Amino acid sequence: MSSRKPIFNQQVLYDTTPLPDSIPKVKELGASSAPLLSASFFIGARCKDYNDDFMKCKTENPGTGEFECLKEGRRITRCARSVIDDINKSCLDQFRAHWSCLDDNNHQLWQCRPAEWKLNKCVFENLKLVKEIPDQPKQSTPVHLRTKQIYAHKGIPIGTQPFIPPTTTS
Amino acid sequence: MPQDMPPVGGYGAVQYKRNLPARGFRPATLLAISGGVIIFGWYKLIVGIREQNELAREKMWSRIHLIPLLQAEEDRDLVRRHLADQAREKKLLGENLKVYNSDRYVRPTFAITPGHTTK
Repeated sequence: MSSRKPIFNQQVLYDTTPLPDSIPKVKELGASSAPLLSASFFIGARCKDYNDDFMKCKTENPGTGEFECLKEGRRITRCARSVIDDINKSCLDQFRAHWSCLDDNNHQLWQCRPAEWKLNKCVFENLKLVKEIPDQPKQSTPVHLRTKQIYAHKGIPIGTQPFIPPTTTS
Repeated sequence: MPQDMPPVGGYGAVQYKRNLPARGFRPATLLAISGGVIIFGWYKLIVGIREQNELAREKMWSRIHLIPLLQAEEDRDLVRRHLADQAREKKLLGENLKVYNSDRYVRPTFAITPGHTTK
């Protein structure tokens, strides 16, 4: 409903009527914020085209995008769900370690680099998805690969190396 | 009347300077040391700001990758509520009234509690 949940008399007003049958059903993602943040770059890597389609549809249908873009929205949800499912299947331990770390550290990515590198390695080896931050300055190390995170509370243990995906020669 | 004149040979020297050795560094050294401290501080500051910029970029992109799916989920929920509202209105009033003079979807600002829930 509105951006604030309508609350009346200390009771949240839920409308549980399901969507009509004419609109195909899709299983919702069901992940909370920390797993989503942990998997966000992999979701972005695999679902970029679907995301762009959806945002384009929303831009082209101002005011009615909620109804016009349901199909694109279902595609996005399915794609993101596939990413989360695949990570859960092949990299559950690393994934869980990383998002619990994020949960414990106020969702600050720089506090959890060792866990993140392990997750990135596992995800690259199993799913071939690479975390990549666009628009970074060319001459400096990408911020998620630096062995010294100057804002982290705890230092990175000596000997822990960041996972740098092998660059494909094209 | 004869005027008072200085003594022959002039007055003796007045000792205005203390006869002590100069302590501490030379001013040039002090300036150089403070300059070094300041430059080091600026260096650390700039390194920190650049790191913050990159961390902000990382956070922003992680959010950019997530926004479409969050929005899609929200839109689906809004459509579901809207259609339920329309159906309820049709059932109660017999027709759907056009409330706004525009075809845009208007996010409702109040909610109806259904008497009995279907799920």
